[in-house]
Amino acid sequence: MIENTVMLLILVPLLFSLLFVALPKSLYKILAWAFFIIGVVLSVTLVLDCLPTGGAGAFDVSESSFPMLENIVLVLEVLVILFILAVSAKYKNWPTLGLGIISAALFAYTYANVPGAEGASFNIDQFSQVMILIVNIVGTAIILFATGYMDIYEEHRHLHRQKTFYFTMSFFLAAMNGLVMVDTLGWLFLFWEITTLCSFVLISYNMDQEGINNGFRALALNLVGGITFSIAIILLSTKFNISTLSGVGTDAAAAAVALPVALLCIAGFAKSAQMPFQSWLLGAMVAPTPVSALLHSSTMVNAGVYLIVKLVPAYANTSLGTAIAVYGSFTFVMCSALALSQRNAKRVLAYSTIANLGLIIASAGIGTPLAVAAAIMLILFHAISKALLFLCTGEIEHTIGSRDIEDMSGLIKKAPLLTTLAALGMVSMLLPPFGVLLTKWVSMEAASSNPVVIVFLILGSALTTVYYAKWLGTILSSSMDKNAVPHKKPETYFPLSFLGLAIVVTSIFVFSIYHYFIEPQVNILLKAVPTISGQAGQFTTEIGAFAYAAIFVVLALAILIYLATKSMFKPRMTSYYMCGENNLERDRLMFRNGLCSYEKSSVSNIYLQNTFGESKLTTLGYAISIILIVIALAGGVL
Amino acid sequence: MSLAKSPWIIHVNVNSCNGCDIEVVACLTPLYDAERFGVLNIGTPKQADIMVVTGSVNYKSVNVLKNIYNQIPDPKVVLAVGACASTGGIFHDCYNVIGGVDQVIPVDAYVPGCCPRPEAILDGVVAALSILEEKKKGNIKGKEVKLKGNEVPSNA
Amino acid sequence: MNNILLAVLVLIGAPIIGCLASGVDRKITARLQGRVGPPLLQPYYDVKKLLSKDNMVVNASQNFYAVVYLVFIILSLLMLVFEQDFLMIIFVYTVASVALIVGGMSTGSPYARVGSSREIMAILSYEPVLILYALAIYLLTGTFKLSALLDKSSPLLMYTPLIFIAMIVVLNIKLKKSPFDYSTSHHGHQELVKGMTTEYSGPGFATIEIAHFYEYVFLTGLIFLFWASNPIIGVLIGIIAYLLVIVIDNITARVYWQWMLKLSWSVLLIISIVNIAFLYVSGAQLA
Repeated sequence: MIENTVMLLILVPLLFSLLFVALPKSLYKILAWAFFIIGVVLSVTLVLDCLPTGGAGAFDVSESSFPMLENIVLVLEVLVILFILAVSAKYKNWPTLGLGIISAALFAYTYANVPGAEGASFNIDQFSQVMILIVNIVGTAIILFATGYMDIYEEHRHLHRQKTFYFTMSFFLAAMNGLVMVDTLGWLFLFWEITTLCSFVLISYNMDQEGINNGFRALALNLVGGITFSIAIILLSTKFNISTLSGVGTDAAAAAVALPVALLCIAGFAKSAQMPFQSWLLGAMVAPTPVSALLHSSTMVNAGVYLIVKLVPAYANTSLGTAIAVYGSFTFVMCSALALSQRNAKRVLAYSTIANLGLIIASAGIGTPLAVAAAIMLILFHAISKALLFLCTGEIEHTIGSRDIEDMSGLIKKAPLLTTLAALGMVSMLLPPFGVLLTKWVSMEAASSNPVVIVFLILGSALTTVYYAKWLGTILSSSMDKNAVPHKKPETYFPLSFLGLAIVVTSIFVFSIYHYFIEPQVNILLKAVPTISGQAGQFTTEIGAFAYAAIFVVLALAILIYLATKSMFKPRMTSYYMCGENNLERDRLMFRNGLCSYEKSSVSNIYLQNTFGESKLTTLGYAISIILIVIALAGGVL
Repeated sequence: MSLAKSPWIIHVNVNSCNGCDIEVVACLTPLYDAERFGVLNIGTPKQADIMVVTGSVNYKSVNVLKNIYNQIPDPKVVLAVGACASTGGIFHDCYNVIGGVDQVIPVDAYVPGCCPRPEAILDGVVAALSILEEKKKGNIKGKEVKLKGNEVPSNA
Repeated sequence: MNNILLAVLVLIGAPIIGCLASGVDRKITARLQGRVGPPLLQPYYDVKKLLSKDNMVVNASQNFYAVVYLVFIILSLLMLVFEQDFLMIIFVYTVASVALIVGGMSTGSPYARVGSSREIMAILSYEPVLILYALAIYLLTGTFKLSALLDKSSPLLMYTPLIFIAMIVVLNIKLKKSPFDYSTSHHGHQELVKGMTTEYSGPGFATIEIAHFYEYVFLTGLIFLFWASNPIIGVLIGIIAYLLVIVIDNITARVYWQWMLKLSWSVLLIISIVNIAFLYVSGAQLA
């Protein structure tokens, strides 16, 4: 029964959050394994439940339970606002306090003036099912990883806050589940604000000055998004009498609702850390790595693009859609350029996340069936690859004690499995035949009709190749001078291997995923289906064909050829060429210099900080992105 | 036969006055054109067949010579060019000179002279080529030359 | 059946053509320098010699990257011959380039790592131009599939002259010839002691050389597409472009990678974008 599964999906993570608080730390590993298995089972059950009704399910909350649930929602919203006001007053953070007061005022206005809803509904179409699968499978795998990770993390930093950590992570999963399933805008707003709150708690986990500052920055920028969200809800309810998300696309003419839709999109931009809101995601990298993996790459920031994609019927083929596409592609190219100059691995991944979310928004903005299909597929593939990369970075940090890319040089000798999985993650973001590149290809082909968007996408794609190739080469190189201590625990290596396997499996079965989940979803959103066929292992659209099966076969063939011919030529190991000055007695990295003493040779990558550095590009990025948002709003109003 | 058609040389100078080096490099110029035999001056030992050594070996460079010799894959030949490389030349009795490349690594062909003409060097290369072919046929492998500690006390 | 025959023909014939092209390159270079030069089949003797040498490695897995490079270059050439989607061909070609770069970095040698860093900057220079070329084909024929391009009767060159000029420069960058041979250089020259490929020896280096033969044919094929409607003129343009590359190789000096990056992002990108803008505005279609 679909209502039961939905209820379980929201209540079970809540139950787990209470269990994490109540039970002692020694049981956390068992709890995490149980959570993972239950998450997988529940999400698959939801997909199976929707099968009889043609793949999508929707239902209204029953008349009897609605008043009670509505009151719970109202009470929770009040609590959220009070919490924000209290914590910003406690830390004397005046901007956040100001924004919190504005939010409270808007909430009071809504409660007083907007007519109360008669009922609430849940809409679980294929896109929501994809998001549920991501949140519950990838999310619980990340919590499993955390049980192996947080002990060492806390040991290094002398913290004892694991109860808060697991409580907030599980609570966040409940909120995320609710967010992607509910249809009523008021309830959506509650879940939205709860995720903001969880993000704040988790970013300031370290309780040091930097963590708290970054937490407040995230809170403030997300509150801006929340404020635009509330204004949009007020406008939609009072002027157009629309109170559900699916109603926005269908119930009113597109031109009329453009302003509230633009405001909702701005809320989505803020949640997904697009420019000019990107500083909160960069600052959020001080949080522990499982937080970065869960919130800031695969689930919470996906909530923003989820909203934007769900609104596609309202702005497809209008000038607002084109403005959104240009804005998204601008973020893509600007953040790829910024990622080039970063040495801190987590900042590179943060900029890469923002860039890929910009690509998703650009595809959604273009609005043709092919482009929207590309946007949804990219959300799925990107979530898995990015989660794997973030988790690998966390484990690398524990192995060598540093996040700097230059320190990771030579990791393959010290931690082969970890390096192979990290390399798989990077290759999957960058190269065919894996899913992210396939969807990037679809996006580029779909965007070819819009000159500005396609030029930005081309530049961004070239920049993406550069910063990932640089990192990939560094970890696979063979000279390491940092002391590496691998901790091999099943809790950390199982999620990594599982995610790696998921990348390969989803890339091989990309057409089946498209056919079952995405084609019907695009049909629901746009009442038209892209003409894609998948015969003979080729992903064929009307303007191109991608032979992903052939490339997989060739890749496997290359590996086989290498393994077969390896024994034909017996290899003989020797040291590399340093003009004969190698020192072979002590350390193979050292060479004898002109003064007859020994020095290490170290080569670093090219970062181009004078051209692509943050100080040079960020101001330019802010200026242009604000101009583009103003154009989008103006286009909506006029 | 194939080895003789494409000999790639690596040119190593240990303690030479550069006279023989200039003659070796002159071999590659258009006047003498060693490239018509397929000879290329490859800078890296890993892709070289013939090691052309000039200079009498001194204590500071003996490990360099051994290092580079060990990094050349089999089959390989060593060609000692000039009087200094063959026997130490006029510097034979100096206190810092070991005297002749064959004191350090096995040498296959010598080109005497101070400095030998490019035609003589090309002659030496051709002689070394036939030795190279024999080594390939007989599958003779070069032994790895051991580096016996630091010859010069290091300041490390 | 025809397809398999064609594939086998390409697999066997392309390295022969590439070998002869490389030999012609060395012969012309020699004649321009006033010397006799090696025999035409010298690259074949080189590869044969390399296959018979010892397999000396620095890192147990470095030859894997060379094999991936070779296999993916063959794949992109086969896809070009079988008229597949051009954007996909470019992405497959990128796999090959990245594999060689990672192979260079995997050895850990300082020369190889600097060479690979510079080659990554080269990717930043030529990839936008290649994808803009694919975009021009889409705008003129309505699809990215090359099968449509080869059916047309008027040549691509008439509508994309500026992109042709940019592609000639990209051809120089990809073939790693002067003035852009700063990451690894060809025979007779040294740059960073052979740069990326410094630590490859024997069979590993032979793999890279054979892959270079295929790459010559592939890149000439990209230029051939500019006049695909008449194959004879197309092949002629390809040969002329290759000879032009050889001459430019001999008359220019090596540049810094920073200079190349500036050249590519200011001049090449701008002229390609101007050409694309013209195609958008005029809405021209190939007959």
